[in-house]
Amino acid sequence: MLPKFASVTARTKDEALSWLSSLENPKIIAGGTDLMVKMRAGKHYSHIIDVAGIPELLGVTEKDGRMSIGPAMTHARLSTEASIVRNARSLALACGLVGSPQIRNMGTIGGNLGNASPAADSIPPLLIHDAVLTLESRDARRKVPLEEAIVAPYVTSIDVKELIDSIEISPLRGYREGYRRVAKRATWAISRLGVAFAIREENGRFLDARLAIGSCTPMPFRAKKVEDLLKGAPKNEATISEAIRMALEEIKLISGIRPSYAYKLPVLQGILEEVLRG
Amino acid sequence: MFIGQDITRVDALDKVLGKAAFAHDLTKNNMLFACVVRSSRPHAVLKRIDVSAARALEGVVKIISHEDIPGENLFGAIKKDQPFLAAGRVRYKGEAILIVVAATEETARRASELVRIEYEDLENISDPFLSIQSPVLIHDGGNLLSHRKVIKGDAAKAFESSDVIVENTYSTTWIDHAYMETEAGLGYLDDRGRMVVASSTQNIHYKMKEISRLLAIPPEEVRVIQATTGGGFGGKLDVTVEGYLALAVWHTKRPVFMRYTREESLLAQTKRHPLYIVYKTGARKDGSLTAVEVNIVGDTGPYNSYGETVCLRAAVHATGPYEVPNVLVNSRMFYTNNPVAGAMRGFGVPQLALAHESQLDEIAGLIGMDPLDIRMKNALKRGSLTATSQVLNHSAGLLETLKAIEPAWRERRKERPGSGFGLGCMYYGIGNTGISNPSSCYLTLTPEGRVEMHSGVCDIGQGSDTVLLQILCDALGMEEMGIDLVRGDTDTSYDAGSTSASRQTYISGMAVCDAAQKLKKYLKEQGYYDGKPLKDICRDAADKGVPIFEGYFDPPTTAPDPETSQGAPYATYAFATHMTEVDVDEVTGVCKAVKVHAAHDVGRAINVSNVKGQIYGGVAMGIGLALMEEFIPGKSESFDNYYLPTSMDMPEVEAMIVEDREPTGPFGAKGVGEPALIPQAAAVVNAIYDATGIRMRQLPCDIERLKLALEKDKENKR
Repeated sequence: MLPKFASVTARTKDEALSWLSSLENPKIIAGGTDLMVKMRAGKHYSHIIDVAGIPELLGVTEKDGRMSIGPAMTHARLSTEASIVRNARSLALACGLVGSPQIRNMGTIGGNLGNASPAADSIPPLLIHDAVLTLESRDARRKVPLEEAIVAPYVTSIDVKELIDSIEISPLRGYREGYRRVAKRATWAISRLGVAFAIREENGRFLDARLAIGSCTPMPFRAKKVEDLLKGAPKNEATISEAIRMALEEIKLISGIRPSYAYKLPVLQGILEEVLRG
Repeated sequence: MFIGQDITRVDALDKVLGKAAFAHDLTKNNMLFACVVRSSRPHAVLKRIDVSAARALEGVVKIISHEDIPGENLFGAIKKDQPFLAAGRVRYKGEAILIVVAATEETARRASELVRIEYEDLENISDPFLSIQSPVLIHDGGNLLSHRKVIKGDAAKAFESSDVIVENTYSTTWIDHAYMETEAGLGYLDDRGRMVVASSTQNIHYKMKEISRLLAIPPEEVRVIQATTGGGFGGKLDVTVEGYLALAVWHTKRPVFMRYTREESLLAQTKRHPLYIVYKTGARKDGSLTAVEVNIVGDTGPYNSYGETVCLRAAVHATGPYEVPNVLVNSRMFYTNNPVAGAMRGFGVPQLALAHESQLDEIAGLIGMDPLDIRMKNALKRGSLTATSQVLNHSAGLLETLKAIEPAWRERRKERPGSGFGLGCMYYGIGNTGISNPSSCYLTLTPEGRVEMHSGVCDIGQGSDTVLLQILCDALGMEEMGIDLVRGDTDTSYDAGSTSASRQTYISGMAVCDAAQKLKKYLKEQGYYDGKPLKDICRDAADKGVPIFEGYFDPPTTAPDPETSQGAPYATYAFATHMTEVDVDEVTGVCKAVKVHAAHDVGRAINVSNVKGQIYGGVAMGIGLALMEEFIPGKSESFDNYYLPTSMDMPEVEAMIVEDREPTGPFGAKGVGEPALIPQAAAVVNAIYDATGIRMRQLPCDIERLKLALEKDKENKR
């Protein structure tokens, strides 16, 4: 049963920002596929501000070699958006795997980031594309790298009076890019493990390899040490097994040993082998 | 001819148009809402209950405890041992303690959260093996609910002369029915002051009797109506909302509505029994089975529900559909403080199928025999003796189902790494085990010139209404469906028994045939078959006083011997073979069922689409049982963390119908509801072995269990 609350539909970003700054206990709804579940479980807000229909928060644009994604874009739209498919394949794939068709039609990428689940499918692809969030309140505007915006599972540094204005990413071209995920059933499932990768190789060497892993640590993380190791290294079994060893070490360093790792680490090992061998 | 045709279901149009009134849709003027306050502890004494804050909430009309029950507090289909409302003690988490009745549903739920309960915890008996030893008794009579044995021949001696013996332990877990519609209903007093309860249910006459006991009023003062029901699978056989509604109406004299949330349904309602099965199989080098010895330990939760029935049915089906000359089965069901385990599609037999089908494949592997050949060699057929020494005199089409599968099996090819094929067979006794379980109905003629069928059968979505009408039309030799169906109401029907045990087509179908014979005789006398219009016959009948044509059928069974269970517990059996192809991803542990061939001997398919629908649904449930469904008490709270298969997890299914006609059934029909599910999980597990070389003996074989087994196997091989 939902608690009592009032809801408003913002027509413009300015309208949303002024409500955010003036209301007592507001919450942004951008699809609501996570929020409604939390509210049904008892979470209470005085006002729900619907931003999903604000034109300024929709669309994907390219400027100065960077791409800007409107946070109100649904997973469904992003999964088929031509420029995303072309420049950020892992993101398109991940968005196409989120939840179910219904969730993909309602849920937005901004909402996915705001919810900051360790299992959020969109986050590992955004990490390998060096995503930066532009956050805006009525009085200020600031840029925060995605890695810094998420501070703990389900906790972000986004202020209650702030709105995600846009998500900026670097396009990757000439990369072998993808997203692998494991779930308990074919669809309508939360990822048990998600790996976004983008790899550029030449003449038997890794030129650049980007890896981000979700559902494994408190926050999805980009395996930067592994990436450094791979940069310029020959593509062979020795490199790959060292990279994997390092990735698993890094995870254990972040989280210690968790019961779920008996399953997750061997699976991650297998997926990374496949990904790096290509 | 209506039999064997794809007659469109009589309920189809209303359902697709959204007109059908499901229990959740019921409403009445001046209606109140009820909800249940449930135990947060698995086993505790109720020290103090403080309802003052709840009562003070505006809109709360009445709070009902066990002390407000005018009649008997205990209910149960087999044994009256479960309280409607806990009296001083709770025995599982989710047990009902109070009913809150309020002006709105929101108020009722809010008030229920304001009730303060002080518990004094007792030892939580969390598994049957603890239950065996514990000095703490869940009921005064001890923690053993039931112990049934099947003894045939001399198993111990037969093992001595067996060439090969395989012994393993298998285990299964709680499964939720997960019907689309949660438990719901509406209660009210009619113009004459009688108690009326309309609900989502599988059995109206049983519930009428329970309400009559609860309120200490005669059954004639109670009317139970089946609302359009969104699935049951056994979970709506026990009393769910009906008792609470009756109590709430009794105390408020106003209409009362209630519905369970999905979370409440998961928490409070019955589950499939977890069974622990130690299974020993002996065979000769030629593949013929010599003996089986089976020890079953089941977790029935704190109340009987259908625990005794599952205990016995699991025992008598333990050998599977094979000729086994020597059998020793011990089946024991223990009380625990886990969820109440009750009836669920298959009644214990799917769990046993996992065991006997895995065993058979292992024997085949050891002696170098093909899995299909070993099944053909041992298959029950006409003239065979079952484990209870019942002679199968007719309709025993297991071999035909195996032959139907044979071409696909012989031509199977592993086209990808990770692909594997498995077989699963089953037999299933139609109707209740070794007890009388009759069905009755009646037919009348209406002044408008139509035949009226009065049926107490609860169609819970499986299509029995249509099937019974088809049977009636053919039994009367009618050329068009000039029949009005009056159904699902204790006021207008006789007791047809529960929609369970795959029994309605066979048993109620025969009751309809019986009534039809009487009506046919009458129609013949009146000249209907010589061309006299039905309208005229009906008019004449109305002048003379409308006659009623009653039908009755009780399948011939014998009570199982109390020591050995020998006898004929069922009048007929359904048989089936499934073949499942899987794809196992060894990296992730994901197993996908790709293709299923499912051959079922149904005696006679009255409605081919209905039979196939049952098979598709059964396969889906079998996939869930095999690969993902697991209710973990205290952890599984909603469908967020209780995983059911989706349409994307469904394999392609080829349903094959085998018709070895059953002479005691309506036009040769038996049943298919539960058989559709039973062999599927076994076929999946056998396919996983074929794909990976790993025997999964614990269900569900979810991605983590399978991956861990693959890892362990890799280590062992190192």
